[in-house]
Amino acid sequence: MSGQSGRAALWWLTGLALIVAPFALGTYHAYLVNLALINIILAIGLNLLTGNSGQISLCHSSFMAIGAYGFTLLNNLYHWPVPFAVVAAVLLASIGGYAVGYPARRLSGIYLALATLAFLALTQVVIEEFPDLTGGIRGLKIEAMNWFGLPIDHKYLVYFLLLGCTALGVYAAKQIMDNRLGRAFDAIRTSPQGAQALGIPVAEIKLTAFVISAAYAGLAGALLSMVVGFIDPVEFGVSAAIRYITFIVIGGMGSVAGSIAGAVALTGLPEALRPVKEYSDLVYAALLLLSLLFMPNGLVGLASALRRKP
Amino acid sequence: MTASVLLQLLVSGLSVGSIYAIVALALVIPFKASGILNFGQGEIVTVGAYTALVLVGFGMSYWLVLPLTVVIGLLAGIVIERGFIRPIMAAPEFTLVIATFAVGLILKSAIRLYWQDNPFALETPLNADPIHFAGVVLNPLYLWVVLCTLLLVVFLAYFFKYNRLGKSMRAVSQSHDAARLMGIGVERVLMISWGMSAAIGALAGILLAPIVGINPEMGHLVLKALVAAVIGGFTSLPGAFFGGIALGLVETYSGAFFGSTMKNIIPFVLLVVFLLIRPYGLFGKPPVVRI
Repeated sequence: MSGQSGRAALWWLTGLALIVAPFALGTYHAYLVNLALINIILAIGLNLLTGNSGQISLCHSSFMAIGAYGFTLLNNLYHWPVPFAVVAAVLLASIGGYAVGYPARRLSGIYLALATLAFLALTQVVIEEFPDLTGGIRGLKIEAMNWFGLPIDHKYLVYFLLLGCTALGVYAAKQIMDNRLGRAFDAIRTSPQGAQALGIPVAEIKLTAFVISAAYAGLAGALLSMVVGFIDPVEFGVSAAIRYITFIVIGGMGSVAGSIAGAVALTGLPEALRPVKEYSDLVYAALLLLSLLFMPNGLVGLASALRRKP
Repeated sequence: MTASVLLQLLVSGLSVGSIYAIVALALVIPFKASGILNFGQGEIVTVGAYTALVLVGFGMSYWLVLPLTVVIGLLAGIVIERGFIRPIMAAPEFTLVIATFAVGLILKSAIRLYWQDNPFALETPLNADPIHFAGVVLNPLYLWVVLCTLLLVVFLAYFFKYNRLGKSMRAVSQSHDAARLMGIGVERVLMISWGMSAAIGALAGILLAPIVGINPEMGHLVLKALVAAVIGGFTSLPGAFFGGIALGLVETYSGAFFGSTMKNIIPFVLLVVFLLIRPYGLFGKPPVVRI
């Protein structure tokens, strides 16, 4: 079997496995697959911004929070049908991305890190200070969802929505990276001045990257609230933001495969560490630091280095 | 609102601001020397507080614990610089931001593993009754914080102006290459600047401990210190001091006039406004970039 058709067969097998997964797996493992898919969506979005465009973001958990709270409130208060509520949540998160990206156009390095950190702190304060709407630190439960009254177990509907969104997310990211926009991302990461000199509107492209990335995070947030059924601000704090960065650093920056590898590996990790749950933060941080020191290109870089050296 | 209330707010604003100022100074010193902002600085504060807790647990007097904690902080800073920062000194800024964050997270989760989330109180000889003076209530703990901050600022001013090591730190902050040509051991200076910063962080920890109680989330305070440093300008030590005091005052007064929501939101709004309009702060120098 040649490499090309072997790869195609692998894709088909993965797709098939993902389609039968919810029927074949027990509740707990199906839940893990759900989480992995959500993390993939988030990691792809973050990677477009950080890996491709070279912009630091410490507030992706806030975009996720906007998506999650947006979806939950539309669902609980107005009983919007799920697809509409998801689209609205994604739009809200994109607006959040615009709000951060607009000032961020002129910032880079630590100043960008600070601005995004400020946005994270702001969303946390807002969630905590308006408990009547958001449930405050006690969190918010997601009430029964409106699926147009379809007579199918909601568990499966959520899963296939998630699967569809992930496929769409992967496809869209591939398209972006293969096109004009993706090349512009690469240019402003490598050298903003050089990109400007080539006629690339650096500020606009940065803003676009923020909006796209926030939309991915908002989608992940809305889907997370569906799968978990409960959201609270702790879920969207600084340590969550660092966890998401760990996904792409360990997986590999600037590559869709890297996002997927990192998200899948690190979704499995805390579950493997379940007996020693208290250590999970420590292990995450240590992995992140070791990966920065010794594996700057992530798992994907490691894999291609191994392939080149037979 | 009477004059005595305004005065009372002034006193508490200054006390809160002093803590912000100390941590902001701890952020700015290594940033000036090495160009690296330590996002894990908050956890150094936490480590300082827990160190004090352990030492007091051995039955030592507070007046002995205070200098010991500062010395332990100094050593911790040196270890962090040599172990984690030096190997990645030349890495891209993203790596540096995330690595310092990771070091902080490791410290915090290690502390949480051992002590859990239980809050601890630190007994000091200063946990005394408040002093009433001219209609204003003065808490001795807060007075002590303000006094320590002032002493620290005087010490730093003297150190950077007259001390040989302080002057070589200023040289290093201007240009590593030029400093090296003048016979300054740049690596040694960088190590000491990180050590000093951690020592100051540990001092902030022991000062803060009796006021807010010791818990793993104490380091959250670093967010406010970052705001203070941005207001003052990341490249300016006096700026960090005044930024801290100004932030403390703004926060306290806005809390009194507009309620706690505003008090919590205003620092971060200020941060964004400053980053947009004057990213180099009130006292900092605008950076000149050669392309």
